[in-house]
Amino acid sequence: MPKLLLEIGCEELPAWACEEGAAQLPELCERQLGRRPAELYAGPRRLAVVVDELEERTPDEWVKGPPEALAERAADGFARRHGVAVSDLEPRDGFLGVTVPGKPLAEVLPGRLEQLVRGFAFSRTMRWDEGGLRFPRPVRWICALLDSEPVEVPVAPSGRVSYGHRFTGSAVEVPSAGRYAETLREAGVEPDRAERFRRITEGLDALGEWSDPAGVLDEVVHLAESPVVLEGRFDERFLQLPERVIVTTMQSHQRYFALGGNRFGFVADGGDPDVVRAGNEAVLESRLDDASFTFERDVRKGIDRLAEELRSITFFADAGSFADKAERLVRLVDRLGGGDASREAARLAKADQASELVREFPDLEGAIGAEYARLAGYPEAVCAAIEEQYLPDAGGGPLPETEAGKVLAAADKIDTLTVSFGLGHKPTGSRDPFGLRRAAIGLARLAVDGGLRIPRDLLEPEVRDFVEERLEGLLDVPVEHVRAARASNAAELGEVAELARVLAALPDERLDRLHTVFTRANRIVAKAGDEALPEVRPELLQDEAEVAVARALAGFEASAAAAVDLDAVVAAAEELAQPLERFFEEVLVMAEDRELRRNRLRLLADVRDAVASRLGDLSQIPR
Amino acid sequence: MAPTYQQTIAALQSYWDDYGCVVMQPYHTEVGAGTFNPATFLRCLGPKPWKTAYVEPSLRPSDGRYGENPFRFQQFLQYQVVLKPAPADVLDLYFASLEHIGIDLVRHDVRLVEDNWEGPTLGAWGLGWEVWLDGMEVTQWTYFQQLGGMDVELVPAEITYGLDRLAMHVQGKRSVLDLEWAPGVTWADVYLENEREWSTYNFEVAPVDVLMRRFEEHEEECRTLLERRLPLPAYDMVLKCSHTFNLLDARGALSTTERAAYIARVRDLARRVAQLYLEVDAEAAP
Repeated sequence: MPKLLLEIGCEELPAWACEEGAAQLPELCERQLGRRPAELYAGPRRLAVVVDELEERTPDEWVKGPPEALAERAADGFARRHGVAVSDLEPRDGFLGVTVPGKPLAEVLPGRLEQLVRGFAFSRTMRWDEGGLRFPRPVRWICALLDSEPVEVPVAPSGRVSYGHRFTGSAVEVPSAGRYAETLREAGVEPDRAERFRRITEGLDALGEWSDPAGVLDEVVHLAESPVVLEGRFDERFLQLPERVIVTTMQSHQRYFALGGNRFGFVADGGDPDVVRAGNEAVLESRLDDASFTFERDVRKGIDRLAEELRSITFFADAGSFADKAERLVRLVDRLGGGDASREAARLAKADQASELVREFPDLEGAIGAEYARLAGYPEAVCAAIEEQYLPDAGGGPLPETEAGKVLAAADKIDTLTVSFGLGHKPTGSRDPFGLRRAAIGLARLAVDGGLRIPRDLLEPEVRDFVEERLEGLLDVPVEHVRAARASNAAELGEVAELARVLAALPDERLDRLHTVFTRANRIVAKAGDEALPEVRPELLQDEAEVAVARALAGFEASAAAAVDLDAVVAAAEELAQPLERFFEEVLVMAEDRELRRNRLRLLADVRDAVASRLGDLSQIPR
Repeated sequence: MAPTYQQTIAALQSYWDDYGCVVMQPYHTEVGAGTFNPATFLRCLGPKPWKTAYVEPSLRPSDGRYGENPFRFQQFLQYQVVLKPAPADVLDLYFASLEHIGIDLVRHDVRLVEDNWEGPTLGAWGLGWEVWLDGMEVTQWTYFQQLGGMDVELVPAEITYGLDRLAMHVQGKRSVLDLEWAPGVTWADVYLENEREWSTYNFEVAPVDVLMRRFEEHEEECRTLLERRLPLPAYDMVLKCSHTFNLLDARGALSTTERAAYIARVRDLARRVAQLYLEVDAEAAP
């Protein structure tokens, strides 16, 4: 059965475009050719597929025409359009139609392959000539073969010609679809991403321990068609720079891999290794030289002077300067119960925003401020807190390890959320330019996983809702239990989480019972509107059952206040359930006597409020 | 003997001259990059083909370091080539130009690394690469997509060589200051004092209140020139606004919000100049 090669030859595609293209190719092949590719190649200068076991002809197709009932009026035109006689039309299911015979594959391929090439949906595309095709970078050739026959694809010069490595290879003729990869390999190109990835990681492994905190490997794999891993070294005098600065310099500009000490690994795409190594070493040294210049200027200035300069740096349009932010942070860490270290760290936390190094490498914020604080002789607790203030910086990323770090990290997030919401920058749908979701998740995790006591009243209502909604995704309990817990009067964020967990862990029959009585109390009170008395008048409690509820309520308040944990509170609530059940059986709440009725409603409302403030709104939990 | 700096420049001039470019001269008004020269920005608008090449001294006041940092300067030389429309073999032409100035593409590692360009003051953007030569960025490559807020009609390729870095590579020098400009004369001999004095001016002396006033005046004059339908002089006023803004920025006189507002003002003028340029150009067409 025929085998097809399609290679889309491009000017150097960005790595993301290689990945997007590779991800879409199987589906595109399926749509245009009815089969997914047997081989798929993606790299900077080509996206290619080999599809085998294709059918020689496209299947015959039955084209539905007019209903038989309308044959007299419409059959003639339909037949003419399809170049057949009316007598050749076949009836099927009440309609006339015609069988259009399939075509040889070679005949339909040019159109199908053009559709395929035009069918990609890349996140960013460009124009480059009048052809109208849009692609992430110009498409310069198409190499398409059906077995060994070239196929014309009318989007770019096409045929059996492909191109080898840009500098060491040349134009090559691919003899047949089955020999594509082999032909390219002979021309100095490794078309297979996985194979290039393997070569690079093996090469790096051979150099020793390597690190890639910025994740440049996924880009580097698409920056070379014939990757070679080389080792370089830089002058040891640069080792006095903080390691973070060295690694960031290597990675952000040069896509190098740190090997520890003054060694680095990098990936080249050819050239004389000694020449290429010397060139890259010189480039890195000049980058490090530049970083040293910047670093030394910052250090000469010192962190305290940098902190003073924050007054002229805007934190957020309409939200004052970074100096204003630092003052707010100092107040916030106080309210979060932070000690001297966190207060000092809050004052200096944003100083590095005034440094030249952070302007150059925004990724270094925090880390470099900590370094400058160390050089100025601040206690390690202060420096560590400055360093940890942006943690956790990813969903599952690590939390600050120090207490002061946790407090400062929480203060920073609370301030960012409060300011952003105050200015109306709420995240909408997938748009979250200020990273507020991440900040809110981070804050929730500081409470839940970090055990930090974060008073809920530190958060404005909107911010509080936004943060607590993140708890719904964070905790391994049904969202309804979180919603129930959020309605409680728990003073701290962590307590809300704890309550949600306790409610979720409660055996069904126990939860059922609480749910039934308290939801019923709630319903009755809610239905009566604002009829209830402002407070219970004991002299109006007549029935033994309602006296018992009043007594039990007082008991509940006392036990709940003395409870060592939430389980004890739940147990106390269960004590209250029993008299309440009796109350519902024996007492008519909606009594004829208006005062009696209002008093009973008050009593129920008090029960509802007492339980809700401790255990939340149980009616949120579906039963 | 490695070629001197001026020989490298001359080699590029002759290469693009031979290709058929109009070899222009640097523009007489301060620009932040060769893109701002009207030979690029204005000529890349509209339907007329255009090929040009020229040296552009580019001024970035904030990048000055008083000549103390051998990698940061407030002025550097670019070699700018524009081919409109971009021919299909434009990358090959570029690589051949590197060979022409003495770079062996097989011995070295040459790479095209994604780098997209955006010029907010010109309402312009394009997609392209930075070109790496053994890891050093030596050229900025852009296929313009929009200029003055309008889609380009013919897509131009803009090739901006970083002359200092290319010459460092060709001469095997580790510092721009040590480049041999002419026999026996270094880059430092030619420009070091210039860096010291202009850095002092840009960071310390440039009078903020005067600059702010000047910005308003240039802006006002640009509007007047637009009304008089004189897009070329009006464009010079855009350049003067842009440079004045860069100086204010270097003086640290602008908050983030103010910066954005100034950029928007320059962009608005650039957009109107671009539209007028096209109108006048169409009227003049035979």
